[in-house]
Order: sequence, then C-alpha cells, then structure tokens
Amino acid sequence: MTDQAHNGEKVAWTEQELAEIEEIASRYPSRRSAMLPVLWMAQHKFGWLSLPVLELVAETVGVPPSEARAVASFYTMLKKKPTGRYVLQVCHTLSCALNGAEEIIRHIESKYDFDENGNTPDGLFTLERVECLASCGSGPMMQVGEHYYERLTPEKVDEILAGFESGEPLPTPRPEADEWQWNLQS
Amino acid sequence: MAMEPSILTSRWKIPDAHRIDVAMKHGAWATLPAALKMAPGEITQVVKDSGLRGRGGAGFPTGVKWGFVPPPEKRNGKPVYLVCNADESEPGTFKDRYLMWKDPHMFLEGIVISAYAIGAKAAYIYLRGEFGFVRRRVDEAIAEARAKGFIGRNILGSGVDVEVYTHLGAGAYICGEETALLSSLEGKKGQPKLKPPFPAVEGAWRAPTIVNNVETMAAVTWIVGHGAAAYREFGTEKSPGTKLLSVSGHVLKPGVYEIDMGIPMMDFIMDTAGGLRPGRKLKAVVPGGSSVPIMTPDEVARATIDYESIHEVSGSYLGSGGMIVMDDTTDLAEGLANLLRFYAHESCGQCTPCREGTGWMFRILKRVKEGRATDVDLATLKNLADNIHSKTICFFGASAAMPVQSWLKKFPDEFFGRVHRTGKVGYADVGAEPPGGDKPGGTTQAAK
Amino acid sequence: MPTVKVNGIEVEVAPGTNMIEAARQAGVDIPHYCYHPHLPVAGNCRMCLVDVEAGGRGPDIACNMQARDGLAIRTDTDNVKRMRRSVMEFLLVNHPLDCPICDQAGECRLQDYYMEHGQHHSRLADEKITRTKRQDIGDLIILDADRCIACSRCVRFSDEVTKTGELRLFNRTDHTEIGVFPGTRLSHHYQGCLADICPVGALTNKDFRFQKRSWYLRAEPSVCDRCATGCNIDVDHDHGEVFRYRPRRNDAVNKSWMCDFGRLSYKRLAAEDRILTARGPEGAEGVDAVLAGLAAAVDAAARDHGDGSVGLVLGTRATNEANWAMLRALRAAVPGARVFLVEGNDPDAFDYTDDLLVHADKNPNTAGVRLIAEADGAVGDAEALRAALADGGLRLLLVLADDVLARLGEVRRPEALAFFGTWANATSEAARWVLPLAAAQEVEGSFTNFQGRVQRLQPAIPAAGDSRPGQVLAAGLARALGEDALPAGAAGVFHDLAANVPAFFGLSLAGLGAEGALVHREPPTEQVAPPDTRPAP
Ligand SMILES: Cc1cc2nc3c(=O)[nH]c(=O)nc-3n(C[C@H](O)[C@H](O)[C@H](O)COP(=O)(O)O)c2cc1C
Ligand code: SF4
Ligand code: SF4
Ligand code: FES
Ligand code: FES
Repeated sequence: MTDQAHNGEKVAWTEQELAEIEEIASRYPSRRSAMLPVLWMAQHKFGWLSLPVLELVAETVGVPPSEARAVASFYTMLKKKPTGRYVLQVCHTLSCALNGAEEIIRHIESKYDFDENGNTPDGLFTLERVECLASCGSGPMMQVGEHYYERLTPEKVDEILAGFESGEPLPTPRPEADEWQWNLQS
Repeated sequence: MAMEPSILTSRWKIPDAHRIDVAMKHGAWATLPAALKMAPGEITQVVKDSGLRGRGGAGFPTGVKWGFVPPPEKRNGKPVYLVCNADESEPGTFKDRYLMWKDPHMFLEGIVISAYAIGAKAAYIYLRGEFGFVRRRVDEAIAEARAKGFIGRNILGSGVDVEVYTHLGAGAYICGEETALLSSLEGKKGQPKLKPPFPAVEGAWRAPTIVNNVETMAAVTWIVGHGAAAYREFGTEKSPGTKLLSVSGHVLKPGVYEIDMGIPMMDFIMDTAGGLRPGRKLKAVVPGGSSVPIMTPDEVARATIDYESIHEVSGSYLGSGGMIVMDDTTDLAEGLANLLRFYAHESCGQCTPCREGTGWMFRILKRVKEGRATDVDLATLKNLADNIHSKTICFFGASAAMPVQSWLKKFPDEFFGRVHRTGKVGYADVGAEPPGGDKPGGTTQAAK
Repeated sequence: MPTVKVNGIEVEVAPGTNMIEAARQAGVDIPHYCYHPHLPVAGNCRMCLVDVEAGGRGPDIACNMQARDGLAIRTDTDNVKRMRRSVMEFLLVNHPLDCPICDQAGECRLQDYYMEHGQHHSRLADEKITRTKRQDIGDLIILDADRCIACSRCVRFSDEVTKTGELRLFNRTDHTEIGVFPGTRLSHHYQGCLADICPVGALTNKDFRFQKRSWYLRAEPSVCDRCATGCNIDVDHDHGEVFRYRPRRNDAVNKSWMCDFGRLSYKRLAAEDRILTARGPEGAEGVDAVLAGLAAAVDAAARDHGDGSVGLVLGTRATNEANWAMLRALRAAVPGARVFLVEGNDPDAFDYTDDLLVHADKNPNTAGVRLIAEADGAVGDAEALRAALADGGLRLLLVLADDVLARLGEVRRPEALAFFGTWANATSEAARWVLPLAAAQEVEGSFTNFQGRVQRLQPAIPAAGDSRPGQVLAAGLARALGEDALPAGAAGVFHDLAANVPAFFGLSLAGLGAEGALVHREPPTEQVAPPDTRPAP
C-alpha cells in the first residue's frame, strides 16, 4: 500500500462530507455509482487524485483501489497529477481550429514559460489542449475551472489572464448562450 | 427569409426563462397535468404517431424505442429507468447546452412525462463533465420544479412518483454513446457494453432503461402538449417536426437554430447562418456532427435538411444536427488529421480495431499533413477505415472511419496533393472516382 | 434444442450455447482471444468475427451470438479471412514482437494465429506505443504490459473468480495498460491461472518462466492430490521430469482453475523427503523382502496375541484401490484384524481454505475411504484407535499414506508400525517397516472427492524409485501372507470394490468418464453388477 500521505496530509473525509456522500449514494441503486461524484469531491478537496486519495475513494464507494484508479485514468477531467491554480483548457478540435484555436494556443504559449507538463514555474497556470467542449459556434474558446470563455481573441486572452494574475476575482463570464439572439429576432 | 419555427426555442428569447416563474408564465409545466391524466400507453402512442426520431444522432423513432421496455411481468421485479443523454460531446454539436441553459424546464417537463410513460420512477440526467455550470442551472430548475410538486413523490396528487437526478461525467466523448453512458453512470469506466442485450431490456444496473437525448425530451413536451398531428405540420413525412441545428465553422452567424425539417441546406447556410465571409466559396460541409460523412458543395446544393434527403444525396446523415461549414481556405488534410486526433484521443480502448486503428490512422494523417507520407499511406488509411467500420463493439468505430472514408473519397486531391507519389496507388484505392482528364497512377495491387 | 449451421454443417446444441462452442461441436475452430468458457463474455478482441448467412445480420462476433434455430454462420469466406488478418494486424501494430525472448513462445495465441491468419508483410511503419516492461506483481506472476492485447481475461478473472479485483486496464485509447494499483501485489492463491488464461506473454508464471520451452513438454491427464476437491490437472513433463501442473478443464469440479498450492505441488514428486525405497528393521531392502518381513510379523502377532493385536489405518491420502486392496488383504489373512480411519490433516498440508476450490480437508480421498469404512461396518475412528493403543492390545499397526501419529498427537505407540507412504513424516520415522507408495500422478486408480465424485487416475509419469501403487503393495503383502486369490491391478480392485461397497455399485474404473462419476448418495437397494473391465488374463 502506498502510505505516503497526500501532500503530507492524512486523507480523510469530514463528518459533513461523509453525510453528503451518503446522500449522493442514496440516489442510485448501487453504491459504486457514487464513484464519479466522490472522485469529483475528492478532487475539489485535495486538488488532485494522488494514490492515497484514490485509496480513500475506493474505500468510500466499496471497490478495490485498482478500480478507483482505473476509473480516474479513463476520464480526462480527473487530475492524476498536480496542476497550476488555473488550468487553461483550450479547445483545439475542428470547429475551433477553423476559427483560430492554434493562434490562441500559440499566443498563450508565448506569454509564459511552460514546462513539458504545461505548468508555469509559479504554479499559477497550466495550459492544456482539450477536445471539443460543445461551444463550437463560439470558438475559439477555453474552459477555466467551471467557466467557458468564448470567442477568444489574443486581446481577450490577455485581459482574462491579466485578471487571473492580479488575483482579483473575475466576473463570471456570460456564456455565449445568454447573448444568443440571431434566430430569435423574427 | 422564411419564418423559423419556434416550438422548442419558444422561450429562449424571454429573459430569465430558466426561472420557473417566468417559464410558467409562458407555458412551462402546463402539459404535465394533462399528461398525468392520460394512460402511459396513450402517451407512448402520441409520441409514436408524431414520428419523433431521437435527436441524439441515431434518429431512432422514440415511441418505438419506448415500446421495447418489457411489460412489468417480464421484468423480474426490476424497475425501469429513464436516462437523459446530456453528454453532448460530438464535435460540432452544442444545441443541448443551449437548450438546458436557456430553458431547462422544457426538457425537464419532457423527462417527467416520459418517465411516467415508460413507468420509470427515477430519471438521471447525464451531463458531460465540462458542463458543471449547466448542471448547476439544471439542478436549480429541478429544485424549483420539485417545490411546485412537478418532480418527486405523488406528483400533483396523481400518485405518480418521478425523481430526477443530475449526474456529472468527467471528460470522455464516448460517454455520449448510450451504453458507455450507462457504464459511467454505474461508476465504471465509460466503456460501451455489448449488444444484445439492448438497454431497453437490460440497461442501467441491468434493469430496463430508456436513453433519450435532451432535445428529444424537449420535443416530447411539445408533442404531448399539442398532439402528434400538430407536430407533423412541421417537417417532412419521414422526418417530422423541427430540429435544432448547431452551426459552426466558416459562417458569419454560427449558433443554434431551430428549423423546420425539409428546408434547403444551401439556403440555411447562406441565409439563416449568415453565409460565408465575403469573397469566400463553400468547400465542404459536415452536416451532422464530426462523425458523419462530409458533403461537397454540389451535394449541399441538392440536399434538404432532413434524415432522408441528406442520406440520399450524399450518403451522409443528419446525425446530431451539428453542422460544420468549411470555406475554400480550409486545408482538408489538416482538418481530417484534426478529427482523427480527436477519435484517437477518445477511443474507449476496449475493442481491438478501434483501440489500435484510430491511433494508427491519426499517425498516418499526421504524416500526410506534414508532407511525410506517400500515396501508399493513403491506401492504407482507407483500408484501415474499412477494417474498423462495423467491426467494433460500438458505433464509435464507424464514427471514426466515416470521416476518413468520405473525405478521401470526395476530396482525393486534397490528400494526393500532400503526399509523395509512388505511382503505385490511384484514386480507386482510396475509394474515389478517378477525376476526369487526369488519371494519376491507376489501380494497383501494391497497397492491398 | 436449437439447430444451427456452421459452414453448412448442421449441429444441434444445448440452449444458451454460443456460436464459438456450437462451431466447435461442428468441428470448426473459431479463433478467439477474449472469450473463455468460464468467464463472462467481453467481446473485445473481435478475432471471432464471422459472417452471418441467415438468421441475423453480420459480420458479428461468434462469442456473443447465442445459438437459435435458423442461425447460419460462415467462417470460410474471404471476408472472414480479411477480418481475421486485419484484427491480427491491429493487435500487432503496438506489440513489441519480442518472441525470441518471450517465455510464452510456443503457447502464444498471437503467434499461433499470426501463422494461421496473419499477413506476412508489415505496414506497421509508425512508432509503437510502449508500456511498462517486467513488473513483479505477485508471488507467482511477472507482468509485461507491453505484450498485453487488452483482452481483459485477467481482469474478469480477478473480478468474477477470485473476486479480488486487483487487475485493471488503466487509461483508454491505445494507451490502455494492464496493471495493478501501484505499490500493491496480487493477494490471491490462483495466480497461476492468470498465466494460463493470458493468451499472450503478458502474464507469465515465475515458477515456469524460462525453465523449459513448452514444445519439449508432454501433457498427461491426472488429478491433484492436495485437497479434497481433486482439481483435474495436466502433468507437463519431459521424459518423466515434471515441470508444471496446469488445470485441466472439468466443469463439474474445477472448471478451468486450480490453486497455486496444488499447482506447485508438482515439486513434491521429486522432493527430498520422497520415500523411494523400502526399509525394514535391517535398513534398506527390496520391497518384496520388506513385505515378507512384515507378513511374518503379522502372522506372528495374530498367532501369539490374537487377530485383534493387528491393525490397519486406512489412508485418506491413498486411492480407493490402495485402501480397498489393503483392507481385503488384511481381512483375508487376519479376519479379526482391527481397522481404523483417522481423519485430519497432516502437518505437510498447506494452511489455506476458501470457498472457491480449496477444501478444508487437505486429503484427496477422505470421502472414498469413508464409504469403504461404512461398507466394512467395523472401522473405528481416532478415539477407538487411541483406546486400542492405550491398552496395549494393539501391537502391530499398518498405516496407509496418512501421518497417523501426527494426527493422533500424544498417544501410546504400538510395539511395531508399518507405513505405506509417499513422503517421510512422523509415522514413517517411527515405523519398523516402510513401503514406498507411488504418488497419485504415477498410478492407476481413483480418488473420491468431497462431492462424492470418483475421478480416475492414470499414470502420467513412471513411479519414482522403487515406489509402487497401493494395490500392488497390498497384493504383495497378501501373497506374502499366503493369500493369492485377491484381485490385482487397479481395474480389478475397483471392480471388486464396486461389487462390495454400495455407494460404488455399478461404477467401473474405465467408465468414470472425463468428468468423473458421482457415487450413490442413497445406495441402491439391490446390488447392480459392475461391468467387468478387468483385462483378459
Ligand atoms: C460515439 C457516439 C457518441 C454519441 N454521443 C451522443 C451525445 O453526445 N449525445 C446524445 O444524445 N447521443 C449521443 N449518441 C447517441 C446515443 O448513443 C443514443 O443513441 C442517444 O442518446 C439516444 O437518444 P435519442 O434516441 O433521443 O437520440 C452517441 C452515439 C455514439 C455512437
Ligand atoms: S468501437 Fe471504440 S469506443 Fe466503441 S467499444 Fe470499441 S474501442 Fe470503445
Ligand atoms: S494481461 Fe493478458 S489476460 Fe490480461 S488483458 Fe492483457 S492479454 Fe489479456
Ligand atoms: S470544436 Fe471547440 S468547442 Fe467544439
Ligand atoms: S472472442 Fe469474440 S470478440 Fe473476442
């Protein structure tokens, strides 16, 4: 067993988290269906899914540790490595590419000194190329945390990243869908 | 410009229509009480009569699918589940996100009605992992509807129970495929299951399960509210109703449009979607999400937007209605390499041809794009696609193969122009018609 | 019973049969990797793709196709050949192709099928994806993930058979990699089965790795003697030198599995403590001389102290035939001899039990001996033996196979002991006469497992040293005691047993069949004459 703790801390749930997990598990006829929700909770709590964290998740949902790791390894949003504080996930699939995704990626790359894992030395950013995020009509676009930043231009990217750097909480971006009016005018 | 129908999008222009009070002023949840007075079988019949075809991509008639749920005495005491497919991950498709964002009550109402129709007491909405913000909105809408007694136990005093839960994926295109989605819902890797058994007989937790797309659920609300005949006033005989199209690529007004099925495709692109940038010509269109075969401008000019016409004219499919428009600046070799990178990244890794073949096709296309390939590689590519198509567990294999087959077939010059010519391979070896006049290479056995 | 057609050949099969099995019954081999008759169907390798001629749509995989009336498939078409070739090509595109240094060579399905169905030129020009080489993941298993074809057999085995779930296919796409949770190891006792079911050289058996190229080995059927389950095995040997045991399929007993303790017990055949020669009071002598000495002692004891001073302990580790022949020999010469059965495990039994295969009773024939004892009607148990020893009336005790002294613990020893056994132990140490009993894999005979299933043994290898089957030693003893009329030879002894022990009525050694035969739980009221299978004199 891996006994080195996650980031030097012991991994465990709080009472409150345990209660939440029980509530989640009660939504499904089988406890192991709580796997993805619990992996998400673990990722929010611990930042990423180290081996000790995966063991905790496995124990929580009642599967062997190998299963928790297999599931985590399958899904791209579950972090198997630590990342920077802001993960810039730029879509590079066809529709976004047709509208300049590569230009946006090159622009971001030129702004910082990313290492081979896509992290900046200060731990602030991680740059990731991701596949289609269902925002193809408003590309190029990127996801940071939960938010979509759409119709990106180099200037818009500068503005967004400057916001992250300043540490000021940014206004939540309005999804393109909110602006969407074209076929509704008639 | 023709009047666009607005039956699924009727509340989209209303500010704050995602709030139940606003939505209810404009008809939301008005269908449910009437539906609960109908027998479940009657609802299924209405949906059958409407001719509604699943909007997730396969276009399977929704009412017919519901009819596959075994009757209670043949279920071994198992419950029935409804699962709403909100995974929306087919490149080029984003209409479900808009629908859930703009008017979540529309599809939620459809979910409750459909659950009642098929006898499900629990419905799960499976959203792709990136849709955390959409999920929040849907959860709020569920809470509002629950507070009003539309969701939960003993709905509106009818004795009918329907619980609705959201479930967030975690980043995997394949979870849009219904059996992979169910594996994921069960807490496993999102890998498709063997068919048979089909989900309607043995799905989530090995119980009968109906999987339907978000848009399908929204359409059910309208159909049950207005009747099958009213729905059939839209669309064509075999493709009744309206369809949400997601348009992206080289058009001036990309976005989501609700269309009356059967309208000319070229008109839609050139008018409704804003047409191309000035001075540009149309090169190609992928009409139904990245997986469907590509169409040439000539085919686009002859097709109307409905399931039959697209297939008859071009061999392609309406699919999810994710339309990707490419003008004459597009490098198709690069475009196809882009798509195959996507498929190579998203194969669930379960079955041999897809697991090994998608990566292989991508590696070849990467060399084609970079000018490090020969025409023999193109023949290999075509052959690999043929060896994957319909040899796999799920339809993903075909989804990766169809772009390769169709792009090579319809735009061979884009690829032959990028490779070193050995002369051993001709157009026929990539499935293309030899072009008039120019007869490069001819057919040989070398690439077999 | 559905009737299906395979390449035009009609076969009628049991309901629920899949088309790989149906084809097998029609004499058609459908190549496959992921399908295994004792694991759930996964359908992922796609090697078993066939054309559907009638009754379905094709091409489709035979392993997930249930036989139903009217279904007709073809495996001999160009299309099927193409599909197989293509699957082989896909499997090899990221395979290291390191056959010359792979221990699986000769038993690798990838290699076999490549020869048969593969194409012999390569267009695999692009770089290969590599995975982790040589990982030590269990006491018996080395994992080379680079060779894995992701068939998931081992995963399904860990989930469905051992239910320990250690093995998983991690990641997705062509980066799929088989492995265990980092830092953990396989914890179950069926590891050898993983090497058996892995169709390629990804999971190999450490114990066998590089010991012998498989093509030098001959396989002979036998039964494992390490517990009361009696898993069916193949004994793989090279001119009598045994290199491994492998489970042999028996759906009624061990399916396709066996435990690692049994698997490794082949080493006991050539172990240091094997009793290879006969020993009398004067030291090593020939078997016949020791038997003669023992017979003289038996005669003397019976004459001087009465029949009751001579005893026999039946052996739960010896065959039905050894037990019956010994019992018959002694009862013929010394009708009043006392007979006992001491149940229990010997100190050399392994300390592990589960509800999969490994039985708590570590003796292969307890059930058989019990039935013999029951039929005899005068067999005492351990308590009776203790009492008989305590009062000193029992002077000469013959012990068959079991370490009876160890089983009894503190007990007054008889004046003289004779031990007929295979391995040295406390009883053999204390014995005045020791007779070398051949091991189960070396003899003709049968065991009755805990289910009451009589399973046939045939000599897989020659008996080691001077050792002999129990019935042969018993016949020798009988002869030395002046009893010549008793049947000799396993078939004859079994025939006699079946005629006298009601649970065995109607059975014959040759008629036991591949799955063995169950004894009668409720003995038939009338005696059924067993068929005479004795070889003609
Ligand atoms: C590779 C693949 C991806 C798919 N992705 C989606 C998807 O993102 N959303 C969706 O609704 N259906 C998707 N489908 C179709 C579903 O399998 C299923 O047919 C659909 O959800 C059924 O709902 P419907 O009948 O309402 O269309 C996908 C199918 C395949 C083969
Ligand atoms: S076709 Fe691809 S995605 Fe579908 S099961 Fe096979 S490997 Fe997975
Ligand atoms: S290690 Fe062997 S048994 Fe396991 S998946 Fe790979 S090839 Fe199959
Ligand atoms: S292609 Fe970028 S969001 Fe779809
Ligand atoms: S044996 Fe049928 S797919 Fe593997």
